[in-house]
Amino acid sequence: MSDKLAHFVSDAPFDPYTIETLTPEQERVYMASRWLMMWWKFKLHKLAVVSGIVLLASYFCIIFVEVFAPYNLHTRNTDYLFAPPQSVHLIHEGEFIGPFVYPLKFKLNLDTLKREYSDDADNPQPIRFFCSGDEYEFWGLVSGSFHIMCPPKDGKMFLLGTDRLGRDMVSRLLYGGRISLTVGLLGITISFILGITVGGMAGYFGGWVDNTVQRVIEILRSLPELPLWMALSAALPVNWSPVYVYLGITIILGLLDWPGLARAVRSKLLALREEDYVTAARLMGAPPSRIIGAHLLPNFMSHLIASASLSIPSMILGETALSFLGLGLRPPVTSWGVLLAEAQNIEAVALYPWLMLPMLPVVIVVLAFNFLGDGLRDAADPYD
Amino acid sequence: MKVCCLPGPGAVAILIGVFVIAWAAPITAWSKAFVEPPIFAERVAAGSLPPVEQRLPEVPSVAVLNKPGLALGRHGGQLRMLMGRAKDIRMMVVYGYARLVGFDNDFNLVADILESYEVEDGRIFTFHLRKGHKWSDGHPFTVEDFRYYWEDFANDKEMSKSGPPKVMRVDGKPPKFEVIDDTTVRYTWENKNPYFLPALAGASPLYIYRPAHYLKQFHKRYADAEELEKKVQELKQRNWVALHFYHGRQYKSNNPDLPSLQPWINTTRPPSDRFVFVRNPFFHRVDANGLQLPYIDEAVMTIASAKLVPAKAGSGEADLQARSLEFKNYTFLKRGEERNNFEVRRWFSAKGAQVALFPNLNVKDPEWRKLFRNTDFRRALSLAIHRHEINQVIYFGLAREGNNTVLPQSPLYKEEYVTKWAQFDLAKANEILDGLGLTERSDLDVRLLPDGRPMEIVVETAGESTDQTDVLELIHDSWLKAGIKLFTKPLQREVFRNRIFAGSTQISVWSGIENAVPSAELTPAELAPTEQGQLQWPKWGQYYETGGTAGEPIDMPLPERLLELNEAWINAVDTEEKAKIWHEMLGIHADQVFTIGLIAAVPQPVVVANNLRNVPKRGLYNWNPGAHFGIHRPDTFWFETK
Amino acid sequence: MLHYVIRRVVIMCLTLVVVSALVFIVIQLPPGDYLTTYIAELESQGEAVNLEKIEFLRRQYGLDLPLYQQYFVWISGWVHGDLGYSFEYSLPVTEVVGDRLYLSMVLNFSTVIFVYLVAFPIGVYSATHQYSWGDHGLTFLGLLGLATPNFLLALVLLYLANIYFGTSIGGLMDPEFIDQPWTWAKALSILEHLWVPVVVIGTAGTAGMIRRLRANLLDEMQKQYVVTGRSKGLSEGRLLVKYPLRMSLNPFIADIGSLLPQIVSGSVIVSAVMSLPTTGPMLLSALQSQDTYLAGSFLMFLATLTVFGMFVSDLLLAVLDPRIRLDGGVRR
Repeated sequence: MSDKLAHFVSDAPFDPYTIETLTPEQERVYMASRWLMMWWKFKLHKLAVVSGIVLLASYFCIIFVEVFAPYNLHTRNTDYLFAPPQSVHLIHEGEFIGPFVYPLKFKLNLDTLKREYSDDADNPQPIRFFCSGDEYEFWGLVSGSFHIMCPPKDGKMFLLGTDRLGRDMVSRLLYGGRISLTVGLLGITISFILGITVGGMAGYFGGWVDNTVQRVIEILRSLPELPLWMALSAALPVNWSPVYVYLGITIILGLLDWPGLARAVRSKLLALREEDYVTAARLMGAPPSRIIGAHLLPNFMSHLIASASLSIPSMILGETALSFLGLGLRPPVTSWGVLLAEAQNIEAVALYPWLMLPMLPVVIVVLAFNFLGDGLRDAADPYD
Repeated sequence: MKVCCLPGPGAVAILIGVFVIAWAAPITAWSKAFVEPPIFAERVAAGSLPPVEQRLPEVPSVAVLNKPGLALGRHGGQLRMLMGRAKDIRMMVVYGYARLVGFDNDFNLVADILESYEVEDGRIFTFHLRKGHKWSDGHPFTVEDFRYYWEDFANDKEMSKSGPPKVMRVDGKPPKFEVIDDTTVRYTWENKNPYFLPALAGASPLYIYRPAHYLKQFHKRYADAEELEKKVQELKQRNWVALHFYHGRQYKSNNPDLPSLQPWINTTRPPSDRFVFVRNPFFHRVDANGLQLPYIDEAVMTIASAKLVPAKAGSGEADLQARSLEFKNYTFLKRGEERNNFEVRRWFSAKGAQVALFPNLNVKDPEWRKLFRNTDFRRALSLAIHRHEINQVIYFGLAREGNNTVLPQSPLYKEEYVTKWAQFDLAKANEILDGLGLTERSDLDVRLLPDGRPMEIVVETAGESTDQTDVLELIHDSWLKAGIKLFTKPLQREVFRNRIFAGSTQISVWSGIENAVPSAELTPAELAPTEQGQLQWPKWGQYYETGGTAGEPIDMPLPERLLELNEAWINAVDTEEKAKIWHEMLGIHADQVFTIGLIAAVPQPVVVANNLRNVPKRGLYNWNPGAHFGIHRPDTFWFETK
Repeated sequence: MLHYVIRRVVIMCLTLVVVSALVFIVIQLPPGDYLTTYIAELESQGEAVNLEKIEFLRRQYGLDLPLYQQYFVWISGWVHGDLGYSFEYSLPVTEVVGDRLYLSMVLNFSTVIFVYLVAFPIGVYSATHQYSWGDHGLTFLGLLGLATPNFLLALVLLYLANIYFGTSIGGLMDPEFIDQPWTWAKALSILEHLWVPVVVIGTAGTAGMIRRLRANLLDEMQKQYVVTGRSKGLSEGRLLVKYPLRMSLNPFIADIGSLLPQIVSGSVIVSAVMSLPTTGPMLLSALQSQDTYLAGSFLMFLATLTVFGMFVSDLLLAVLDPRIRLDGGVRR
C-alpha cells in the first residue's frame, strides 16, 4: 500500500476548459441578465402568463373604449327598459347570414308592472362592423363616431341587456372599466412613492428613524379601515367635480395602503444595507438617496412589483366597497363599483340578473392581478 | 214654521226614536255585553285582571266601520311587521293612532280618547275625558295627567327651558290652563290657535298629558331626593331631568314600564331586534258587537336593514308592510304573492309631488338670483320638462304628471292648478328664453348668461333615491334642447340641506307638498314662506321661524302676499273664507311656479297578508294627516282564520 | 424576555392612546354631529322637528361642549368601565354592544375555522404540486372568494337560500327565535343561517392564507434538511409532515394577530347587507349617524384587539420558533 490513493490525486494533465465546458444552453443561462432569467421563470407559471395577457388586453381596451363600445355612455332607449340580453345568431331559418340579432318586442304587463320582451323571429337584423354609430368625444377631446361594432341599422343591440333607463350594459361595462382600472394605477403610484420613501429611510437609517416609522405604521395598521374610509370620503369637499372626487378617492386608497409596502421595504433594506457594495458606495461618498435609489432598490424591485400587483386588486375592490357605501363615486359617474351598487337590490338579483354582470370583470381582473403577482413574486428571485 | 200635513203621532214617535237612536248610536254599546278577549280569560278568572266591563271607560269609543268592504271581526292573531331601525318602533304609536282627537278616514277631526270637545271662537278649547278611562297599568287616566304635564313639565323651568312647545303659543303667549272638574280641562288663548287640534291629531302627536302616577317618582318635586339621586346614578344619566326623559318618552315606546293609552304596548326592552307589542287591556275602544279592541292580540316588529325589507316582505315575512317599500319593488313583491299568501295592494302617496325641483330664490349668485326670481324663467324651465316621458319610464305611466299642488281627492282641487305651465312645450320654452335676452350660445349650443358664463345649472340631491337621479337624467336631455345644461350633484343629506340654507345651491330636488289632500280647515302654512326647510326660499322661511332674528325678510311681492294670506287664514272666521284664501294661494303657486313639480300620486305598494281583514284596498299613504296606517285604524284589522 | 414584554406593553398602551385620539378625530370629521343627522333624517321623512327639544338634547348629550372636552369625558369614562352613552339607542354603550358581541364572536370564530379548513389543504397541495393544473385550479378557487365583491354575493346567496331551502332572508336565525332561550330548534336555525355569511366572509380570507402557506412551504422545501431527508429515504408524505409543515405553520400562528381583526372588520359590510345581529351593522350605522361614543368605543375595542393580537402573535412566534428566540432575528 505504498502508492497514494489514485482518486485523491491524479497526475493526469489537466486542462480546465476541456473538462468542464458549458453546453450552449447552459452558457445562455449563465450569461443571461437578471431580467431574462426572471422572464424564463415567470413563463413557467402558466396562469400568470395568461393573466398578463388578459390584463394587457383590458388596458388596451380601456384606451379605446369609445371605439369598442357599441353605444355612447349616455344613450338611453326609453322603449327598452330592463331588456334582457339578446343572443347573437348565425343561422336564420337554415340559412347562414352572419352575426345578427332579432329585434325585441315588448308588452307592458300592467298587473305585475313588468315589461315582457320576446324575440321577433321573422326579422333578422345583421350586426354591423367597423361602422359609424353613436357620436362620442374620444377622451373628452376629439369627436368621432367610428365603432368596431354597431347595432343594426334602425335596430337595437343589447348583448348584455339594458338597465332601468334603457342604457346598454355592454357600453356601461366598458366605460366603467376605464374608471375602475385606472383607480388602481393611480392609487398604487401614491402608495409606492410613500412606501418606498418612508420604508427606505427607516430601513437604511435605522435607529430612531426606524423606531418612529415603525410606531407610525403600527398605529396606522390598528386604525380600522372602514371608518377611515368613511371619514376621509366624507371630508372631501362637496363642490369638487366628479373628476376631482375620483382623484380624491384614489389618493385615499393609496394613503391607506402604503404601510404594508413600507414594512416590506424596510425589512429588506435592513438586511441588505450590510452588504459590501453598500459600504463601498458609502465610502465613495454617495449620498443616502443615491445609495437607496441606485443600489439597494433595484435589488428588490421585483418584490416591489409583485407586491404592487397584489395591491391593485385591493384598490379596485376598495373602490367597489366605497361606492357601495355611497361614499365613493356616484351616478352619473360610471364605474364598476357604481354599477354594482346600482345592482344591490332584490330586483336585480331576482328579476334582472344581467344587471349583476359587472361582478364578472371585477372578478376576472382581480384574479388576473393576483396570479400575475404570484408569478412575478415566484420569478422575483431567479437565483433561488 | 207651520207644518201642514202633520204626520200622525206614531210616525212622530218613530221619527223621534230614530233620531234618538242615531244620536245615541255611539252609546248603545252599553246595552250589549262587552266581550272579553280570550287571552285575558285566564287572568280574569284568576282575579289578577278586572273583567272587561270594569276595564273600559263608562262610555267607550265605538269603532265606526262604515266603508264598503269593512266587517266586524274577532279576537286573535299576531301581526308581523318589519322596520328598518330599532328606533322605528315608535311607528307603533303612529299606527295605533290613539289620540285625544284624531282624523277619521275622511280627514275630519273627531274625538277619540276624549269623549267630546268644544271649540269656542277658535281659541277656547274645552276637553271632556272619558269617565273611568284607565292607563294600560290600570291606574285611572284623569285630569291630573294633564295638570302634571302643564305645571310640572311644560312650565317647569328645569324640564322645559323655553316653556311650552311652539304650537301651544299664539303670538308667543301660552294659554291659560284650567281644570274645570274631574273630567274636564280647558285651554284658553287670546287669539285663535288653528294649529292646536291638528297637532294633537298628528302622526307624531303633541302630547299634553303624561302618566303622572308613574313619572312622579322621577320628578324632583315629588320624589325623595336621595332615591332620585340613586336612580340617576344607576342609569348614568346627567341629572333628574334626563332621568325623567329617559323613562318618559311616550312616542319612542322604548320603556315597557311606561303606561300608555295605545292599543298595543311594547313589552321588549331595547336593545333588541324583535319587539313584541301586546294588547292594552284597558284600551278605550270597542266595536259595534262589544268586542274590546284591538282585534289582534299581538303585533311584532322585526328589525332588519331597510334594504332587505323588500326581499323579506316578498318572501312572506310580514303581514302588513308599507314602510321601506317603494314603487320599484312592486314587481318583485307581486311575484311572491302566490307562494307566500299575501297581496300587494296599490295605495298612493299623498304628496303634492313625488319629485319636484326647487329653484333657490335666495341663491347667493346674483345672476342666477335674478333669473330664478323672474317668473318667466321658471315657467320656461317647467315647460322644457317632458313629464310624460318621466311618468312612462319610471312609473309605468301610473303616476300623475303636473305641478306640485293638491291632489284630486282634496276638496280644494282644480284642474288648472295641476296643468298650468306644466305641458311639454319646447318651442314655447325656447321662445320665452329668447325673449329674456338669453340668445347668446356657447359652442356646445348652451345658452350664455348675460355675464358670459354658460347656463349650467347644478341640481343638488341628497343622494338617497335612485328615482331622483333617474328623473334628473331625463330632464337633462330635454333641458339641453332648450339650451340649458344640467349637472347632478349628490351630497350627504345634511350637507345638502346646509348648502341650500346658506344660498349656495342653485336648484335642489326633493318631494313636494307634504299634505296634498287638505281641506280648507287645515293650515296652508306649507304654501307660504314659514319654514327654513322650504327649499325654494329657506332664508325667508328662517326669518319667519326665528321671528326675525335670522334669515332675510321677504323682498318679492307675491311671496309676501302668501305670508299675508297665511296670517289671514289664521284669523278667518268660517270655512268659506278659509277656502277662498286657500284658492288664492294655490292659484299664485300654479301661476308663479315657485316649485317645479314633476309627478305625483305615485303608487305605494302595501303588502297585506291574505287573511288580514279591514285593510283598505286602495288608500292614501301619507304622514300628516294619515299617519300611514293610522287613520284606517289598525286596531280594527283582524285575522280571518278558517 | 421579561424586559421585552414590559417594553412592548408600554409601547402598546402609548399606541392605543394615540389611536384613540385619531379615532375620535376621524369620527368627528364628517360635518355636523349626531343631532344634525337626526334632524335631517326626521325632516326627510316628513316628521316635524321640535327645535327646543333638539337644543335640550344637545345639552344633554354634551354636544355643545368643545371637541377636546368631549374627548376627555370619553377617555376618563374608561377608567371606571364606562364606555360612554349611545345617542341612537339611548343606552350605555356596554348594553348596546353586549349581546351583539357574543353573536359576533360566534360568527367570526366559525369563519376563522372555515378559513383554516379550506386554506390548509389547498395551500399544501399547491405547494407540493407547484405549477400543475391542480395547483392553478385550486388556487383559482381559493382566490375566487377574494375577488368577488362580498356585498352582492351575500345578497345573491341569501336569495338563493330562500328559494331553494326556504331560509328566511337575513338575520342569524328565524325571527321567532330572537331573544328566546336556547333550544335545539334555535341552534339549528342559527346553523341554517350561518353558512351564508361564513362562506362569503371566509372565502375572502382564504386567499391570503393559501398564498402565505404556499410561499412558506415552498421556501422550506428548498432547504437542505429536506434534501437530506429525501436522500435518507423518507417518503414524501412523511417528509412533508415531519419537517417543513411544522415550520410553515408559522403564518397560521403569526397571523392570528391580523386575521381576527381583519375578519371582524371585513365582516362589517357583509353583516350590514345581511342584516345580521352582530356588531357590524351597529358600527356602520353608528358611523353614519355620528353616534360618537358607540362608534368610538367599538373602534377602540377593535384597535385594542389588533394591537394586542399582534403582540400575542409575536410572543407566540418567539415561543414556537426557537430560531427567533435564540436569534432575535429579523425574520419577517
